[in-house]
Amino acid sequence: MIIQGLAFYMFAAITVAAGVMVISARNPVHSVLFLILAFFNSAGLFVLMGAEFLAMILVVVYVGAVAVLFMFVVMMLDISLAEMRAGFLQYLPLGAMIGFVLVMELGIIGGSWVIADNVDKNFVAPIVAMKTTNTEALGNMLYTHYVYYFQAAGMILLVAMIGAIVLTHRKRPDARKQNIGDQVSRHPSDTLEIKKVSSGSGV
Amino acid sequence: MLEIGLSHYLVLAAIMFTLGVFGIFLNRKNVIIIMMSIELILLAVNINLVAFSAHLGDMVGQVFALFVLTVAAGEAAIGLAILVVYFRNRGTIAVEDIRIMKG
Amino acid sequence: MPLATLPTLTPALPEIFLAIASMLLLMLGVFSSEENNTRTVSYASVLVLIVAIPFVGLVTEGRTVTFGGAFVTDTFAVYIKALVLVSAATAIIMSKDYLKIQGIERFEFPVLIVLATLGMMMMISANDLIALYLGLELQSLSLYVIASFQRDSARSAEAGLKYFVLGALASGLLLYGMSMIYGFAGTTSFDTLANIFHDAHGHVSVGVIVGIVFMLAGLAFKVSAVPFHMWTPDVYEGAPTPVTALFAVAPKIAAMGLFIRVMVGPFGELGAQWQQIIIFISVASMLLGAFAAINQTNIKRLMAYSSIGHMGYALIGLAVAGTAGDAALQALGVQSMLIYLGIYMFMNIGTFACILLMKRDGRMVEGIDDLAGLSKSNPGLAMILSIFMFSMAGIPPLAGFLGKLYVFQAAIQAELYALAVIGVLASVVGAYYYIRIIKVMYFDDPVDELDRGISLEMKAILVVTGVVIVFFVFYPVPLLTGAESATAALFHK
Repeated sequence: MIIQGLAFYMFAAITVAAGVMVISARNPVHSVLFLILAFFNSAGLFVLMGAEFLAMILVVVYVGAVAVLFMFVVMMLDISLAEMRAGFLQYLPLGAMIGFVLVMELGIIGGSWVIADNVDKNFVAPIVAMKTTNTEALGNMLYTHYVYYFQAAGMILLVAMIGAIVLTHRKRPDARKQNIGDQVSRHPSDTLEIKKVSSGSGV
Repeated sequence: MLEIGLSHYLVLAAIMFTLGVFGIFLNRKNVIIIMMSIELILLAVNINLVAFSAHLGDMVGQVFALFVLTVAAGEAAIGLAILVVYFRNRGTIAVEDIRIMKG
Repeated sequence: MPLATLPTLTPALPEIFLAIASMLLLMLGVFSSEENNTRTVSYASVLVLIVAIPFVGLVTEGRTVTFGGAFVTDTFAVYIKALVLVSAATAIIMSKDYLKIQGIERFEFPVLIVLATLGMMMMISANDLIALYLGLELQSLSLYVIASFQRDSARSAEAGLKYFVLGALASGLLLYGMSMIYGFAGTTSFDTLANIFHDAHGHVSVGVIVGIVFMLAGLAFKVSAVPFHMWTPDVYEGAPTPVTALFAVAPKIAAMGLFIRVMVGPFGELGAQWQQIIIFISVASMLLGAFAAINQTNIKRLMAYSSIGHMGYALIGLAVAGTAGDAALQALGVQSMLIYLGIYMFMNIGTFACILLMKRDGRMVEGIDDLAGLSKSNPGLAMILSIFMFSMAGIPPLAGFLGKLYVFQAAIQAELYALAVIGVLASVVGAYYYIRIIKVMYFDDPVDELDRGISLEMKAILVVTGVVIVFFVFYPVPLLTGAESATAALFHK
């Protein structure tokens, strides 16, 4: 119990600290790195709560793909760091006050959370009844009861793919591309000529 | 104190959510940070969902969180693509410069 | 492990059709010859959207649920989906010339509109929080992309960026609210939620109320109601004009449908908690729509404020539907709102068709001054635009007047007199700027003439919408019965 508590406080504290750094770091590259830290520690929290599959997904998809995508763009856009963040402090006092009030309110609500009476009868998929691992349980639901959402998510990713290509892909006629078909269909006789060089007479 | 319950996670999610909102409104210099703040908000939502799922003992919260993660990945891709287009046009991503249209 | 039984697919037939068709359209675009594949795909997309309408209409009565209760088809969904499909199809038709003039003819444009329409239909039929979220995001992601579709224009990119950032924030708020609702109820299904709140008799914890407020904020953003309207004028101005025409109609109607579905469905018993909020955003939207539009010089920007105002009027109906405990009154509110949305669609499509015809020397113009002297250079266009403007202003006997009449009547029946009075005052102020456009067209000295040629499709759109607006008063029955049966589906469980 104690170890669980300590682990929670460690992960939570690092997550919050990393979150603060994400929005306040001077250098956007540092922000991305702190975002990765926040994701890693949230994954730790997910493990504590027994959501192992989501924890792994958070590391694989978020740290592995999304954060790296952010990193690519930050590097690609080549933003001059000197002019960044000059006006940050200007809004800080008011913002901090509003933020503090918001945290307090949401925190109080969270601290005294009420759950509906007889909530168990509303469940579609109670965890207690499942005699399987977390991943297997998720998979069982995803491909049966929730197949509609699964397909819908597929359409969303298709839109993301089309969108990213439409917006950023540029046709570059001058670019030299590899054409595998051409390469494979080349025949030695088209390009190679074997000459017999008799010795002593030069080429 | 070391007994960790639902409310601990909810307070944590509340803090992360506020940090995200705070990051969007406070930031005047860089749109990428705004997009990362949105990721923080979605992370807060996921912490909330998983905490409820674990506390109630119902799997649906985790399924929901899984879809939030999926959509967030797509959203990040689109957002960054739009940002790249914007940067190619304007040569800057400072928030203060995003004001050709006003009124 | 037994295999799961396959869910019934018939209720979701139009969505499945659109999903498959969008992929085929994508392939058609990739594999057809490069010169005119945009044109081919555009026509095919319009065809797909039109063919989807009879699929939608297969449902004539009752309420069918499928996919484990996540997806619902009823006459309410049919009504809203029909409006959305028609407006999406006209947006594609109207985009044809524009894309060519601006040099952004790419076949992904109509495909993305079809995908956005699919998202809208999914959210209209959502019967579960997750289904709602996925439908909404499918719609939003497609719309972010087409807002910034003109990628060599800084304005279009800026519009896309603003829309994206604020839209993603709104989705975040919505999700945070949904997580709270789930945390209270332990379910995401609308039906179960409705039962829980019914049994609670209006007494719920603070957490649920905060959750509803967050969800309201997210939804209000999607219909661009004040105070979540900030993005609207900039996005409308910066986005390519056919995209603006789409934004003004299809997503608005779909989001309004979703708004009704969520507020009247699961949270119907909690009207006492949310009615005040809806009244506030309705009043604020009507007033802002009326006053902020007065000084505009860009017609797309003007239409943005106009649409904010119209959403305010439509929300009066939702405020009436928040009168908990009186099902007849609630039904009246929803019905008036649905009629308003139907009329709003015709007025806006017609107006945007006129805006898309504002060309000079083959280039698009969008200043209100550019319309000066239109009555002499192109009397037909000037007349039809005046009809739309009079209708928007709410001058009897045009359709816009009747739409307003229905919502104000509903407000009076619900004893929300303040709403009705402010609504009338806002329409009077609003009439000023609509009629100013007519004055510019008829009485100002002509500047350089606008181009005259009107393509056949545009003519057809103008004539049809114009006829509907003028003659609605004589034959309102189809829209009225449609709205009535749509409302009935919501209140008979």
